[in-house]
Amino acid sequence: MGGLPTNRTVNGLAVDPENSNVMLVPMRDGLFQSMDSGQSWKRVGNELKNLAAVIINPKKPTAMYLSTLDGTIYVSIDAGMKWKKQQ
Amino acid sequence: MKNKLKPISIFVGLVWLVNAGIIFAEPVRDLLMAANQNTSNKSPVTFEHVHSLALDSAGQTLFLGAHTGLFRSDDRGRSWNKVSLSTKHAHLDVMDVTTDPREPKTIYIATHEAGVFKSTDGGRTWKEASSGLGGPDVHGLAIDPNMPFKLHAAVREKGDGIYRTTDNGGKWIRVDDGPQGEVKVLRSVNISTGMGGIFLYAGTSTGLQRSPDCF
Repeated sequence: MGGLPTNRTVNGLAVDPENSNVMLVPMRDGLFQSMDSGQSWKRVGNELKNLAAVIINPKKPTAMYLSTLDGTIYVSIDAGMKWKKQQ
Repeated sequence: MKNKLKPISIFVGLVWLVNAGIIFAEPVRDLLMAANQNTSNKSPVTFEHVHSLALDSAGQTLFLGAHTGLFRSDDRGRSWNKVSLSTKHAHLDVMDVTTDPREPKTIYIATHEAGVFKSTDGGRTWKEASSGLGGPDVHGLAIDPNMPFKLHAAVREKGDGIYRTTDNGGKWIRVDDGPQGEVKVLRSVNISTGMGGIFLYAGTSTGLQRSPDCF
């Protein structure tokens, strides 16, 4: 259970429009995903850190965008498992 | 009696935090340095500090809220253009952006200095939508996914608390003291509370908290 760093700032929250139990949270410590509406979390997105915001495409929920605090954009097409810097 | 937003008590993640710091410290630093250099070389756009990302409900246009304003991208985040918001305010720090789940051209933003703004033409023109808010510093904005005419806003400092509108931002009413800590993001999540209403989630400086929105 658990999985989010405690007493740390949660900068954003994205919810899967087709399954509200699926959530993503960007933090300075990385990107965290929950499949049970926030009861438990696991870290995804490999080494990404200093994250500000994330959004899930409402028309295609496996497609997502992520921004670091300084505005570098990353894209995922596999529901957040792998992220590629937008060129 | 007002309900306080309650922390989700099961968020215990110290092991994740320690592991992340030790294992990934060096690669992350290199990655971020490279990203900073690439960003500054590619585009004159300066965000300074990003607060929020949003997509229109058609999944086509990205909006980014930052310390230096609101930006839009029509090429999946490759390039950004600053959006003109208000002639009355030279600088607007855009704290949160939310889009109507049914109307692709309807966008709301929360600002640090001037409350809430709304666009119904895809971001071309904006109108203030702050009537009833107790203060100008709005840090979170959540639209109800089932009833998009209903939104909640988190106000800090003057008039702090959670405000609700049920007429698309026409009039706001204070409904709750709000969560502990500084709100960074506010989202209405389509999970039934069992008491009527759905849950309102708040990302804050002290973690993720949620409360039924039927307060």
